[in-house]
Amino acid sequence: MTAGTTTLEQRLGRIEAIVARLESDRLELEEAMALFEEGVAHLREVDQLLREAELRIERLIAGPAGSVTSEPLPDATSGGPPREPA
Amino acid sequence: MSGERHPDAGGRSPDRPSARGGPGWLRGARPKAYTVAAVNILAREVLEGSLPPIWVQGEVTGWKRHVSGHCYFTLRDRSARLRAVMWRSDAQRLPADPDEGMEVRALGRLTIYEKSGEYQIQVNELDSMREGGLWRVAFEKLRAKLEAEDLLAQERKRPLPRYPAVVGVVTSPVGAALQDILRVIETRAPWTRVLLSPAKVQGDGAGSDVARAIRLLARSGVADVIIVGRGGGSVEDLWAFNEETVARAIVNSPVPVISAVGHEVDFTIADLVADWRAPTPSAAAEHAVPDRRAIERDLRSLATRMASGLDRWVQSRRQRSSRSRETLTEAVTWMVQSRRDAAATLGDRLDALSPLGALRRGFAVPRDEAKRVLRSVHDFRPGMRVDLRIADGVVDCRVEDLREEPL
Repeated sequence: MTAGTTTLEQRLGRIEAIVARLESDRLELEEAMALFEEGVAHLREVDQLLREAELRIERLIAGPAGSVTSEPLPDATSGGPPREPA
Repeated sequence: MSGERHPDAGGRSPDRPSARGGPGWLRGARPKAYTVAAVNILAREVLEGSLPPIWVQGEVTGWKRHVSGHCYFTLRDRSARLRAVMWRSDAQRLPADPDEGMEVRALGRLTIYEKSGEYQIQVNELDSMREGGLWRVAFEKLRAKLEAEDLLAQERKRPLPRYPAVVGVVTSPVGAALQDILRVIETRAPWTRVLLSPAKVQGDGAGSDVARAIRLLARSGVADVIIVGRGGGSVEDLWAFNEETVARAIVNSPVPVISAVGHEVDFTIADLVADWRAPTPSAAAEHAVPDRRAIERDLRSLATRMASGLDRWVQSRRQRSSRSRETLTEAVTWMVQSRRDAAATLGDRLDALSPLGALRRGFAVPRDEAKRVLRSVHDFRPGMRVDLRIADGVVDCRVEDLREEPL
C-alpha cells in the first residue's frame, strides 16, 4: 500500500491510543510529554494530509505473464473522457 | 443454376401447359421439369417475399441449442406446430434459453429450409410471456444457483475498510459513472489512490470483460476495496452485471466489493453477491471512503481530549505535590489552561495546543540522553550532556556547574 495513505488509519489509531493513555492516571511527566508531542505530531500530519492531498488516479494494465502495472490517468476529473497522450 | 431453378421472374414458365394446345406430352413434347432443389428455392422465395416479419405466440417445445450456437425448436399451440430456428447471431443475445413448454412471443420471417422442404419460421427476437421475460428467467436461474452454493448469504458479506488507501474501480473509462465516483472521492477523501481497471460494460462480451477487470484488480493486490458498476440503462444494457462470470469474480475477490449498477431501481446479480450494494456509482463512492469533514471532527475531539488529559494529569500532580512552584508542573499547567480553548479547532490552532507552543513563553524542559525529564539539581552532574526542549527545537547542552537554590 502507499505510504502517505495507509498511515492515515494508523495515525488516527495512534492518536486514539495516545488520548486513552493521557486520560489514564498513571503517567510520569516524561511519558505525558512524549505522548503529547507524538500526538500533536500525528494531528499535524493528518491535518496536513486532509488539507493538501490530491486525488491520484491510475489505470491498471495487464502486463506479460500475469503481471499488473499501472499508469497515471491524467485529466480524469476534468469532466470529459480521458485523453490519449499525444 | 438460377436460370434453371427460376425460369421466369414472375413465376411463369414458358413450359407451362397451355389452354390452347392441351398437355404438352400429348403433343409429343415433354414439358421441362424443375429440379427438387429448384422447387424448394422457388417456394422459399415466394414465401419470403410474400410476408413481412410476423409475431407468433406459442409454446416452446424441444428447444435445442446446437454447438454452433444456432437454436432449433418448435412453436405449438393446441392444434398446430411450427418449426423454428434462431441463428447464433440472434440467439446469443438471449439472456436465457426458454424452458420446455414456456409461452413465448417470437418475431421472425417464414421461410423454407431447402434441404428438407420443411417450412419454418426464422426467429430474430424471442421473449417469454412471463413478467420480466427471459431476463427475469435468467436472473432467477442464476440467483437460485448461487443461492444453492450459499454465495448470497448475509454472513458472507465482508466489512468495508474504514480508511481505504487504494480504491479499485471497475467500469467504463469513458462513462459517467467513473466521473461521478472520482468527483465524490475527490471531495471526501482526496488522499485516496484510485486504480481504474477499465472494462466494457455493455454489449457483446461485456460480462466476461467486467469479470476480467475485477480479476486484474484482485491480482494487482493493492486495492483495499473495489467498486464495480456503471450508470443507468436498459435491462439489456445492464445485463453484464447479471452474468455468472461477473458474480464469480466478485465472490472470489480477496477484498470487499461494492456494486453500483444503474439506478436505485435496478437490481442485479452483482448486487446480490457484492459485499455492499450501492444504489448508484456516486453512492458507492460515498460508502467506500470516509468524509474528510468527519475525520476533522474526530480530530478536533481527540485534540481536545488530549489537552484535557494533560490538564487532568497536572491537576492530580498538583494535589500530590507539596511544592506548589515546581517549575515544570507550572509550565504545563499554564500551557494547558491558556491553550485549552484553542484546541477546539485544528489548523493554526494545532500549534497552540502543542506544549511547544507553551514553551514559547520561555519555559524549557531539560532531558537527559534517555529523554528523562530532569527535575532536580541532583539529577544533573557537571559535564553531563543534556538537551533542552524549547519551543522551536532542541538545544544540546553540557552542564558546567550547578548549585541548589530554592525558588
